[in-house]
Amino acid sequence: MQEQEIYSALNEIFRDVLDEESITLLPDTTADDIEDWNSLSHIQLVSEIEKHFNIRFSSREIMMWRNVGEMVQTILSRV
Amino acid sequence: MNLLSFTFLASIFLLLAVQNLPFFSKRAKSQNALLLVVGYLLYAGTDIRGFLLLLVSTIAYYFLGIAIQKRVGAGEIRKAYPLTFLGVAFGVGLLLYFKYLGFFIQSLATLAESLGWTFDTPTLHILLPLGLSFYTFRLISYVIEIYRARTEAERNFVDFALYISFFPCIVSGPIDRPNAFLSQIKSARLFRYADFLTGCRMILWGMFLKICIADTLAPTTDAVWQSLSDTNGAALLLSALIYPVQMYSDFCGYSLLAIGIGRLLGLRITPNFRTPFFARNVAEYWRRWHMSLTSWITDYVFMPLNILFRDYARLGTALAVIINLIVIGMWHGANWTYALFGLYHGLLFIPLIYGGQFGKTRKLKPGKWELPKAGDALRMLATYLLVTVAFILFRAPDVSSAMAYFSGFFSESLFTSPQLPSFRLLYVALIMLLFIADWVYRNDECVLCFHGKGLMKYRAARWMVYYALLFAIYANCENLHGDFIYSQF
Repeated sequence: MQEQEIYSALNEIFRDVLDEESITLLPDTTADDIEDWNSLSHIQLVSEIEKHFNIRFSSREIMMWRNVGEMVQTILSRV
Repeated sequence: MNLLSFTFLASIFLLLAVQNLPFFSKRAKSQNALLLVVGYLLYAGTDIRGFLLLLVSTIAYYFLGIAIQKRVGAGEIRKAYPLTFLGVAFGVGLLLYFKYLGFFIQSLATLAESLGWTFDTPTLHILLPLGLSFYTFRLISYVIEIYRARTEAERNFVDFALYISFFPCIVSGPIDRPNAFLSQIKSARLFRYADFLTGCRMILWGMFLKICIADTLAPTTDAVWQSLSDTNGAALLLSALIYPVQMYSDFCGYSLLAIGIGRLLGLRITPNFRTPFFARNVAEYWRRWHMSLTSWITDYVFMPLNILFRDYARLGTALAVIINLIVIGMWHGANWTYALFGLYHGLLFIPLIYGGQFGKTRKLKPGKWELPKAGDALRMLATYLLVTVAFILFRAPDVSSAMAYFSGFFSESLFTSPQLPSFRLLYVALIMLLFIADWVYRNDECVLCFHGKGLMKYRAARWMVYYALLFAIYANCENLHGDFIYSQF
């Protein structure tokens, strides 16, 4: 799977979970850049991403991401 | 180690002077060593047995941190895990042994007795080492942060030991995280007039909160708890409404003293309170009350649990929140009242989680005349009342006393005139002063950190306030009610 495909899928998941159509994720996007991306919605996002890609992240991986780019790298290493 | 004693505060100014002598002023390492030696001497002078434990734990975690770092650095995460687990287990083990062992044994014996079994329970006299609840949390957070690759192990032992035992914060916090603290002590702290001024203002307001508000209110609430059966419902209600203000003044006062002393010495300590009584729901309240503990437990208890329960969606979050709040409650001590305090707060989160308000931060915008909008004011009042109920559980010596309080409270005497011992109108004035000051300066670092608002842009007006506070502190210092409430935790 290409990196761009992952970004497209993530954009859809983020827009759906956070109910915000204008979201466009970039590698350096962080929770500070998106209003409703907080600790609670983060877990909902993770859960949806896992379902979509049929993968399972470890707690450490989830806690270590500092931006979307790092999240995408983890997904790339799994799919 | 009493932060309120004249000798202690005088010695801080002496320490500040020494830190700025030519030998120390440009050497971070010398300044750090000086602060560590002073802190260790103060600690050992208060609790020599506890000092040995502090020293041994510090040495053990120093080497443990380096060992975890080596494995994380080499990408050997599986090998780093058992070491991190050991660090967390040892820290939790210390807390369990010193704080909860006697309580667990006693609870088991009571349970066994209720099942018809009797056995002799050993009488344990385990003294809680000074500040254990606070410094073990620093030790645990240090190893977890290295494991999560959010910080690197500290190679300089003096710097690491200073982070664990920074003396203004060791007794009652705030609980600083390793990155925030260690990054500051790598360069020499030069004297800055602005920091000096802010530090003095924080200390002054902290002393006022503790001596003039908390200790003025304490005899009344204490008297109520000592004679529950003789106090009518209306007085119980009034005393319950006063207690959150007393607690806030006591603990926020302490935190400001610690943060202010840190600022005098050129260090920024993590804040602990942000006007909690202006919270519009319980979730917001916990983001503003004892923030350093709440954020610690959120990062290391709530988040892992929330991740673990993520397949259960909101139910999983509710479960994680309830466990989180029970842990916060039990952190305060070995008593079922604290567990109930946490459980009650946890249950208050459920409507917020299912209603979608949990985790959302809505900015507080004032309405007409800079006052809170009617809807916000009502939500603040409702939150205060909900929190007041929790504080009855928190203050009660045991569950049966809490129940006695509630049954006295919900009686016919609730609708009579309150017979509250030594209650004075001055209390109302003090509580109003606190609320007004907190509201006006809610966006500032502390109430006295005026930023040229209204009359306070005039130097003469500011100094009048300082003198008035100093006079009030001087006039009330003989009524000093005792140590800070949080120093017992």
